[in-house]
Amino acid sequence: MDILAELTPIFQEVFDDDSIIVTRQSTANDIDAWDSLTHMNMVMAVEVRFKVRFALGELPALKNVGDLVDLVQKKLNKK
Amino acid sequence: MLFNSYEFIFFFLPITLAVYFLLNKKRLTVASNTWLLFASLTFYSWWNVKYLPLILLSILFNYTIGCLLAEHDSLRKKIVSKRGIFIFGLVGNIIFLSYFKYMDFFIGNMNALFKTDLPLLQIVLPLGISFFTITQIAFLVDCYEGLVEDRKLLSYSLFVTFFPHLLAGPILHHKEMMPQFETVRNKVLNYKNLSHGLFLFFIGLFKKVIFADELSKTVKIGFDAAHSLNMVEAWTVSLSYTLQLYFDFSGYSDMAIAVGLLFNIVLPVNFNSPYKATNIIDFWKRWHISLTSFITTYLYSPIMRSFRKITFAKSMLATFIAMFIAGIWHGAGWTFILWGALHGAALVVNHLWKRRKLPMPRLVGWLLTFGFVNASFVLFRAKNLTDAAKVLKGMIGLNGILPATHPHFAFADLGHGQFWKLLMANIKGNDSILWTVIVIMTVTLTCQNSIQLEQKFKPSWKTLGFVVIVSFYALVNMNKVSEFLYFQF
Repeated sequence: MDILAELTPIFQEVFDDDSIIVTRQSTANDIDAWDSLTHMNMVMAVEVRFKVRFALGELPALKNVGDLVDLVQKKLNKK
Repeated sequence: MLFNSYEFIFFFLPITLAVYFLLNKKRLTVASNTWLLFASLTFYSWWNVKYLPLILLSILFNYTIGCLLAEHDSLRKKIVSKRGIFIFGLVGNIIFLSYFKYMDFFIGNMNALFKTDLPLLQIVLPLGISFFTITQIAFLVDCYEGLVEDRKLLSYSLFVTFFPHLLAGPILHHKEMMPQFETVRNKVLNYKNLSHGLFLFFIGLFKKVIFADELSKTVKIGFDAAHSLNMVEAWTVSLSYTLQLYFDFSGYSDMAIAVGLLFNIVLPVNFNSPYKATNIIDFWKRWHISLTSFITTYLYSPIMRSFRKITFAKSMLATFIAMFIAGIWHGAGWTFILWGALHGAALVVNHLWKRRKLPMPRLVGWLLTFGFVNASFVLFRAKNLTDAAKVLKGMIGLNGILPATHPHFAFADLGHGQFWKLLMANIKGNDSILWTVIVIMTVTLTCQNSIQLEQKFKPSWKTLGFVVIVSFYALVNMNKVSEFLYFQF
């Protein structure tokens, strides 16, 4: 499963911008609408899409989309 | 023990370092970590050994709950639910903190409300209790969510008590810390870390001893002694405190990070030139960064998750509640509660402004942000709402601008020392305290901050000269009267 590819429509939806293209290096600095509110929306949308659940303590360590992809992969592997 | 003391710099620190690395050299890593733990507990007890049992109790309690949570899933027979254990642990910590910190505030308010006359318990706050309690609450949450792997008592105790962060943070996350105490590479003395650490330590010491402690004199008279303040005095006093608080706290954080570095332990950065922020959202990404991170992760996020559907309005509510709680955490008083509420409201306004995409020129943004922060810190420092009102009223000119004995102002007056002494009579000041504020403010706004300097640091004759001058000046001035702002935390 290409997690990164699946994240693109989620990001476009949550940040309300169809032109968004996410790479592993993408961070909140790259996307205007990405703030603490939309971050939570994005995290919860990812949880619903991939049927995983993030622990509170796992959120601050996510520095870029690559970290997010890896974390999702790790949780999918555990299932 | 304090970082800015001769016993710490010339006695405790070198001995702790030397024995630590000596034991490591002999591959006695359990002994070296135990030594660090022993040194940290000594550091803590230096102030008053009677409070040592309290921190040990807190550590053992949280360690036990943490282990119960982590092992719960593998139990065959579950007498209590995992959630039940977690709530028990959480409530235990809150009651522990509340008793020491908020009991007298509670009693005082009961007395005021019900006209009773219950005596105050005069409970002394154990040093660092606010910090080590929330650090361990975060640990319990992580145990509940299955994130904790290393559960050795030694590692955990060391994580909580590691003396650089023990009294005033930076607030640590066990996931960032525990592995660092295990990594083999960190067991060897590292000359780069040693030089960077010493460099940063003396800059931090300078900030605390030369800037903060100098400003504290004006602050003390202005807030605690003066009966009223005219406009110039009020602004001088409030700016002095805003600068004192920054240089004291960030200086202390610098020293904490620096000392950690000497042991090859990397602590998170706590400040990033907060007074350069051009909006309040940015301010909180630059001020007490490890606290903002804690608030976002362990207050804001769970509140948001509890809502079925998240909307902008709900996120603003969550933001306000989180800051409100943060205000209470800072101190037991209505001034702190108001301070937290104001910052919560300011953040909401900022978010609304951004959402509506309204314009905000950078300079205007900076003025508003710094002005707000400066005014809100009056609440932070004032002993009660009356004292806060005294300073704030002075700032908006309600207590007059010129002293009664000098009603007519001419620009030539500015050149006479006598005029300044008269103008600042309430705070027993003269023009030099205003110059102090202006110079330090300029440095704050134009220079690179200590962490930026440390990152660019390269040992050379020039930097050696810089460190020698800075450290000498700081060390020589260290035995002057100094405030320890964190006794109330």
